[in-house]
Amino acid sequence: MTQGVLLFAFNNEQIDYLAMAAWSARNIRRHLNLPTCVVTNVVDIPGTYQFDQVATVDLPPTEQTKYFKDYKSVAAWHNKNRSNAYELSPWDHTLVLDVDFVVASDQLKQLFNIDQDFLAHRWAYDIAGHQAFQDNNWFGTYRMPMSWATIMCFRRSKKAELIFNTMQMIRDNWTHYRQLYQVSEHTFRNDYALSIAMNVVDGHTLSTPSIPWQLASVTPETKLTQVDPDTYKIEYESSDSKPKWLLLKQDFHAMGKRALGEIVANPC
Amino acid sequence: MPILAERGYLIPAIDTESVDYLACAIQLAESIRQWHPDANISAITVKRCDNPVFDHVIPLPHGDLGGFANDWQCFEASPYRQTIKLEADMIATSPIDHWWTLFEKRDVVISQGCKGIFNEPSNNRTYRRLFDSNALPDVYNAVTYWRLSLTAKNFFELVKNIFANWDRFKTILKFPDELPTTDVVYAVATIIMGVETVTLPPGIGPMITHMKPGIIPSVTNDWTNEFVWENTSPGLRVQTVAQSGLFHYHVKDWRAL
Repeated sequence: MTQGVLLFAFNNEQIDYLAMAAWSARNIRRHLNLPTCVVTNVVDIPGTYQFDQVATVDLPPTEQTKYFKDYKSVAAWHNKNRSNAYELSPWDHTLVLDVDFVVASDQLKQLFNIDQDFLAHRWAYDIAGHQAFQDNNWFGTYRMPMSWATIMCFRRSKKAELIFNTMQMIRDNWTHYRQLYQVSEHTFRNDYALSIAMNVVDGHTLSTPSIPWQLASVTPETKLTQVDPDTYKIEYESSDSKPKWLLLKQDFHAMGKRALGEIVANPC
Repeated sequence: MPILAERGYLIPAIDTESVDYLACAIQLAESIRQWHPDANISAITVKRCDNPVFDHVIPLPHGDLGGFANDWQCFEASPYRQTIKLEADMIATSPIDHWWTLFEKRDVVISQGCKGIFNEPSNNRTYRRLFDSNALPDVYNAVTYWRLSLTAKNFFELVKNIFANWDRFKTILKFPDELPTTDVVYAVATIIMGVETVTLPPGIGPMITHMKPGIIPSVTNDWTNEFVWENTSPGLRVQTVAQSGLFHYHVKDWRAL
């Protein structure tokens, strides 16, 4: 069974997602020893970027914007074709990773040993320990449980195909689903579409198996720097307003794109 | 009451001024029959009822003593050797007959805890402050099993005693209610009988879905006008999520079937 990692990279005026994807591909090769395929609209990929495959696609048709906290500004957010991962993946068993997910260990390899057609995270947590982050594990006024699309591991199977098809249906009818789940934001998020799709495909029972550990997250409010190739430092203010820092030697979701962009531009 | 069957569901349905509990009980019985057409189901009521959804309609053995104080009469009134007593204002949203297997080795089982619409145990304690203040077990009389046994007899005699002597029992509680509620009386009786005697370990056994604000994420008091709910006949979805077990709808005049 062929295996690999699929990355989506559509640059906007502020963030060079393709550079992040190339940086991530190097980490993936070092730690997971898996091939990578980048899905992008960039035609001239720089020669230093080492992807095993490139799927060149058009920019997702509907453009939406997102407020990036760390940039303190609004920018385009081309996120509407993540649900095409099923058609775009060249492998039997695929890991779809956000390019801002930092691979610093071989932990993700475990996902290929789990006998499930589709896996994603149910729970995310803030490494800095801020409890308010927990609210991100639900969405909408009525607090529908969230499934995170940051990492999706799927086998070529009917179930995975159904989940991605359902995500597309939700994306194409977002106004309806937004009203149904009372989501206040206008912005479409793949996390929402995945959460709703998994519930639909599993017979509305919320019983979908999930990745058996939580998604470690570093928020945009936390200062992130790289110490060595697989060690990162976070500096933050604790809940009781004391300055704190931690060294991370683990995988994590870097939610602040500016800090990650600086690491990618000047890697150790 | 003579024993007429080995196992059956018993639904007390004594109307109050504001609530037609018999109508609630009929809806509950119909929902159980959707899953278990051959189930034995009886109602206890003071009204005349010819609805064939019930196998038996039983009067209160000692008459209507008012409010919650009728509860202890269910033990005497039940026509079953093994009884699952269900509060009337609920519906069965999934099969429930596996509970018999879960309960059958015990004399009395009172359900513990409640959950929200996403099937997650509730940690909202708004309605359970009296329980927490007094370290009472988190029992819900909404689902209570017993088999004819000395333990069950003692339990319901104790319940009767606590209701009858609430003025004295309430002095041992912090912040007691002026009038006793069945859940609090059951909790006190549970402490006296021994928690292990009349409950299963926490997390095992039925847990009702409780539709009170705070437990569910509704903005208003009336979730029926706020949430999208679908009768899937049999079954119920709320905000697209399939419900399981018994669904305590709180808005007493809600009719789903």
